[in-house]
Amino acid sequence: MSAHDINLSYVPTWCAGCGNYGIINALKKALTSLNLDLEQTVLATGIGCASKISQYVNTYRIETLHGRSLPVATGVKLANHNLTVIAEGGDGDGMGLGMGHFIHTARRNLDITYFIHNNQIYGLTKGQTSPTSDLGAVTKFTPAPLGNVEQPINIVKMALNAGATFVARGFVGNSAQLISLMAEAIKHPGFAVVDILQPCVTFNHVNTYPWYQQRVKVIDNMEGYDPTSLDKALFFAGLWGEQIPIGLYYRTIRPTYHESLPQLSEQSLMQQKIDNVDITGLMKELY
Amino acid sequence: MMKKRYYTCLFAGEAGYGVMSAGSIIAKGANRNGLWSFLVNEYPSLIQGGLNSCLVRLADQSLSSYEETLDFLGLFSQQGFDYYADKLNPGAIVLYDPATTQVDESKVPEGTLLYPVSLTSFVPKGGAKIMINSAMLGSFCALTGYPKNVVIDVIKNEFHNAKIQQENIKILEEVYEHIVSSLPSQNVFPFTFHKHAEPKILINGNEAISIAAIQAGCKFSAGYPMTPGSSVLSYLADHGRDYGLVFKQAEDEIAAINMLIGASFTGVRSIGSTSGGGFALMVEALGFAAMAEVPVVMVNAQRGGPSTGLPTRTAQADLNFVVYASQGEFPRIVLAPGDIEECFYETFRVFNLADKYQVPCIILTDKYLADSSVSHPLFATGHLTIDRGKRFEENVDRQEPYLRYQNTPDGISTRAFPGQVGGRHIATSYTHGEDGFYSSGNKEYALNEPTVTKESMDKLYNKLPSMEKDIPAIKFYGPSEADVTIIAWGSTKGAILEAMEQAAIEGICVNFLQVLYISPFPATAVEPILQKAKKTLLIEGNKTGQLGGILAAHTGYKANHSFFKYNSRAFVPSEILAKIKEVLL
Repeated sequence: MSAHDINLSYVPTWCAGCGNYGIINALKKALTSLNLDLEQTVLATGIGCASKISQYVNTYRIETLHGRSLPVATGVKLANHNLTVIAEGGDGDGMGLGMGHFIHTARRNLDITYFIHNNQIYGLTKGQTSPTSDLGAVTKFTPAPLGNVEQPINIVKMALNAGATFVARGFVGNSAQLISLMAEAIKHPGFAVVDILQPCVTFNHVNTYPWYQQRVKVIDNMEGYDPTSLDKALFFAGLWGEQIPIGLYYRTIRPTYHESLPQLSEQSLMQQKIDNVDITGLMKELY
Repeated sequence: MMKKRYYTCLFAGEAGYGVMSAGSIIAKGANRNGLWSFLVNEYPSLIQGGLNSCLVRLADQSLSSYEETLDFLGLFSQQGFDYYADKLNPGAIVLYDPATTQVDESKVPEGTLLYPVSLTSFVPKGGAKIMINSAMLGSFCALTGYPKNVVIDVIKNEFHNAKIQQENIKILEEVYEHIVSSLPSQNVFPFTFHKHAEPKILINGNEAISIAAIQAGCKFSAGYPMTPGSSVLSYLADHGRDYGLVFKQAEDEIAAINMLIGASFTGVRSIGSTSGGGFALMVEALGFAAMAEVPVVMVNAQRGGPSTGLPTRTAQADLNFVVYASQGEFPRIVLAPGDIEECFYETFRVFNLADKYQVPCIILTDKYLADSSVSHPLFATGHLTIDRGKRFEENVDRQEPYLRYQNTPDGISTRAFPGQVGGRHIATSYTHGEDGFYSSGNKEYALNEPTVTKESMDKLYNKLPSMEKDIPAIKFYGPSEADVTIIAWGSTKGAILEAMEQAAIEGICVNFLQVLYISPFPATAVEPILQKAKKTLLIEGNKTGQLGGILAAHTGYKANHSFFKYNSRAFVPSEILAKIKEVLL
């Protein structure tokens, strides 16, 4: 088996037409395009339909708890910062239970790439409101006539405000752009977030392929586009309605977390020798 | 057997006067000069005010416990007098500042020397409040005969700023001269100080655990502040740079344990530390570690509960919680060290056990053990060896697929770490087959689900026989036959051993079964001891006798007598001795 062989024999169990098929294909193509050594790549996922992606991609993988992909990915990165570390999961996993981790991972600028499959609904638990569900969304837990009364989370805006250093939004219906965004995100040294819009063909009958297709607009061609400007990025992030910009919103370079630690400057924790540690000095401090 | 002699002094006052620092200087000075110290801090959960106390017990032999019977009481506040006046030994000395403290002679034993000193008047104008501390130390030396130069040497060692050092020594000398000149004769301290004594360390449980983790090659820690677990984390943060270790403060305890799991999955030994409330947040991930067979080592330094409970006081009430925490079932290791020796050597062992058996390990201590400093000989480390358990060996040409969770007779499969060639796999929180794959929606898997489920659970439990053989789970003290057999766990050990010494002097025959590892429960090891026991006395720092319940569940044995203390303070030998006598009546 070659270090670049990305496929596994198991067949995904997503519904026919699910956006996750497009995302897994894009992920594989992105990884392949980067010619990454997959033995040196770790994919950490949460729990949910999106998170099942780790069952089907031939890297080192850890399928964590619901909402906890980022802290696990953080531990992986700090233990061996020479690895490529990707975290992945859905909008419920990441913006519900995982929200605290998301904010803190972003402000720390860990060198982790985070792909959020955003279908604005809980799929695996069969159709409840997600933190990104639109106002008025009718779901199992927010029934008609009222629907969802909570303001949805805008992942791009959240990532920008929390200090992510690469922020993009992709759409599974534009695979060429998505592959390139995912590859750029993985290459980016720092916390890179890609909000990936995808329909849930079974439980979300509002935010469908046509719904997105009518609204998404490639950001590069929009007036005033400047991915080096946080202000501009926040302006475009505010557009969610008739127009939904897709593409790279913002990119900047800030020291990553592991680069800031002197004890990681020469080697990773994993490379440290652990036999015969000398604690004489520690005991002397306690005389 | 010679009865041990002790000298106990206690400093009490509001937070901010350096109560802890005064006690620690006395304890260190004695520790460096051939004596043995045992230091117990008590403090409320606040930053200013309140009643802080620091008790230092000294002896010319090793110490395992303390008593609140005071030979010297140094007061910075009224509250200190009110709380400790009835704990004075005959002939005790009470030093107080009349500006802050009124002493009521009727409340102290006859013969107590009540000595007023205007401590504040020795601090120069504009000097820091905490410098009163040096006036207290000078008074202590003058009144007790504790060598002044020993204190000055420690101060010189502790204060690196030359100006601060000199200011404090000046205050100390002035108070000392002032008092000594007023005394009819120079007091003689009951113990002799030896300048060139064999070096010893003065160390608390959290420090011993932290140093053991460093010795064991632990390179990663993550946590969130929670008293009394935090000082393991701050110790590792302080020494991380020198030892190539990273401590990451997490946003909460859930993140902390998940970071530890990530690092351990990657191959780095990792430790966390918290108290009951933080441990509660970690529980879901504890099960994840068990399911994914990722070893983690977690310290739970118990404090009073439930809920926020008593943040700065001791308790032994989380035993059932840590032994059973999580949905589902899985084997885990729960170590309950009873003293500094076990905090160090058993923590080292637990890192090896974690790697060998790939299970979650919990080190269950409490505020009293975590935070009390004890004189201890230097740790000998030459015999300690690291065992990382079964490892996957890289093989570029391997033909057969790597099975991370391969079924083996002992339930243990090899671990591959990310980066190893040929070791790619999925580690998962789902119930899974040998390759780690789960999906009940997948046809091949679904057809075998009942088989896979049973096999994967059996795999976890197939580790038990070798774990049980490998773990020295109990310790036994005293004669093989005795009138009373004490059963206990954790930090009660020190007080029990001292009570046994006293009992022996009085001709009472007692032995002691210490359950050091409570999970997996050592039923086979405890049974012959219990069979021989005439009368058993269960001693625990909780309301319901949690070890007693676990013991009964595993062996059917119910202790004859019990002594449960749950008033937020640790056991002392005298109350245990009294209970032993009561049992024998």
